[in-house]
Amino acid sequence: MKLERAATALPRHGWQLLPLRFHRIDADSVVLTNLVGEHVFVTPDELSAVVDGTCTDQELLARLRAAHLIQVPGETLPAELLAIKLRTRMRRLPDSTGLHIFVVTLRCEHTCRYCQVSRQSAAKNEFDMTEQTARRALELAFRSPSPHLKIEFQGGEPLLNFPLVRWITAEANRMNEEHGKELAFVIATNLALLDEEILGFCAEEQIHISTSLDGPQDLHNGNRRRPGRDSWQQAVAGIRRVQERLGKDRVSALMTTTEASLDRAAEIIDTYAELGLRGVFLRPISPYGFALRGRGGANYDVDRWLEFYAAGLDQIVELNRQGVPMVEMYASIIAKKMLTNADPGYVDLTSPAGIGIGALVYNYDGDIYASDEGRMLAEMGDRTFRLGTVHDSSYADIMLSDALLNPLTESITLSAPMCATCAFEPYCGADPVFHHATMGDFTGHKALSAFCRRNMGVFTLLLRKMRDDRYFRDLLWRWAQ
Amino acid sequence: MSPAGGAPGGGAEATGAGPTGAAEITLAFDQATVNLDALQRSAYAVAAEMTVDIRVTGADYVCTLFPRRQDIAGDELRHRFRAEVNDQILRVRIAKETEPLRNLVFALAFSQTGLVEVEAEGSA
Repeated sequence: MKLERAATALPRHGWQLLPLRFHRIDADSVVLTNLVGEHVFVTPDELSAVVDGTCTDQELLARLRAAHLIQVPGETLPAELLAIKLRTRMRRLPDSTGLHIFVVTLRCEHTCRYCQVSRQSAAKNEFDMTEQTARRALELAFRSPSPHLKIEFQGGEPLLNFPLVRWITAEANRMNEEHGKELAFVIATNLALLDEEILGFCAEEQIHISTSLDGPQDLHNGNRRRPGRDSWQQAVAGIRRVQERLGKDRVSALMTTTEASLDRAAEIIDTYAELGLRGVFLRPISPYGFALRGRGGANYDVDRWLEFYAAGLDQIVELNRQGVPMVEMYASIIAKKMLTNADPGYVDLTSPAGIGIGALVYNYDGDIYASDEGRMLAEMGDRTFRLGTVHDSSYADIMLSDALLNPLTESITLSAPMCATCAFEPYCGADPVFHHATMGDFTGHKALSAFCRRNMGVFTLLLRKMRDDRYFRDLLWRWAQ
Repeated sequence: MSPAGGAPGGGAEATGAGPTGAAEITLAFDQATVNLDALQRSAYAVAAEMTVDIRVTGADYVCTLFPRRQDIAGDELRHRFRAEVNDQILRVRIAKETEPLRNLVFALAFSQTGLVEVEAEGSA
């Protein structure tokens, strides 16, 4: 044992640094990350000793070497391994674009306080997508090099134009006979209009249902208003029907945090658990559309949301300890990026950004947007992220447009101020739509950015908990798989 | 005022009231020990708490800190900025030392994507 140790012991100045970045987690702890986000915790003194070349702690040096943070001069394997991992993380890029969102109608029978879309009354059919527009959008979607295509139906409330949902599904399946892609469908619906015909269709086509559930009845109905004030009752009944007919895993729900949610994290999580939902996505409100009005629900800052997030995460961990499996979806996305070489491709946490190359949005009128948030900005009068129209734009026009390439190139985190030297860069992403909307440029000043503050807060929270709580570390590993 | 020693951030003094009514603070850094890049990165990173004016005076970079809020104590601001400068010096040093390896890793990563061959065929 002593011989082995002597043989691998590194003398003072006997190693060289590999590209690494650091972040002070608290007064006694610094996290070091390598080019692909593998991390090691050290003390501030250890950081100084390693950078100065004076460290003599062989156990620490061995950990740093194993995590590709240092190497013995002349070694080539670390660079080769890092290159393979880096390439693995970026392998989604040549396969753009996987997600295609069809806004089949702007009509909606809800009037949610934070709605980001300019909803139209349920009777105004001129805000429905036509078959001609949908066909052209499908032709563009199938031009994508991605072997996996996910078609997501959105609105408004897409079930108000259910005949077109049915038509697009059939047409996509027909077109796919030639293309042979892995095809999946999602309906993003409030479930109020769910009936036997729709359920049968979803069963037949193996369609996934994504719905909204803000938490307990009073909270949900206060946020999501509809005639009869029964949005929660409709959503809960719908979730149960889908679970019974299609299976537990065929329905998932998203929540939006309003100021009314902030003190009720545990109740929100418990509502999900009681319904047998296995995942919660603790989402802050987006700074678009009606959410920005005084009564839109966005009257809280990042620090307050982070308190809410931490409380919600604690409750989810507690449920898991009690044997109730539950995942916080945002943490699980980050866990994949922290603990594996897979990139889950979540649009907000990728660099280059996920706009356009991760998702394309076909609006009811044929306009094409780089993201759903880009469409929301257009509804507010800012058409910066409009890439073209299905009626007269080719696939090359869209994907090579300045409207897409400028925000992509200007926001890449490996070159953005502060991001380039941030230890969390491998976990984070560029969000040019958010920064354009809130700061007026695609890169954003990260020291002043709510996106940066929020994500730094979440990364730091997860790392602290991993460092201090073995159960949490094991749980996060499971979420990462 | 000259810096007290070789470590980044030496002498400091309050020089009056800034636009928020809070006291401005001046810190001098010896150009022999602190590079301008690290100072500029620091000024960028602390922009939520203060704005920073950087001037060259003799052998020093003289930084004037303008707090954004009145309720931040002067000492807290000095420590915050000095700590940030120390970290940025370290980051600049690590980046400089590891730049060739970083470039090598990226070159290796993107040399085996198939994109290079496609380009070569297309240009032939």
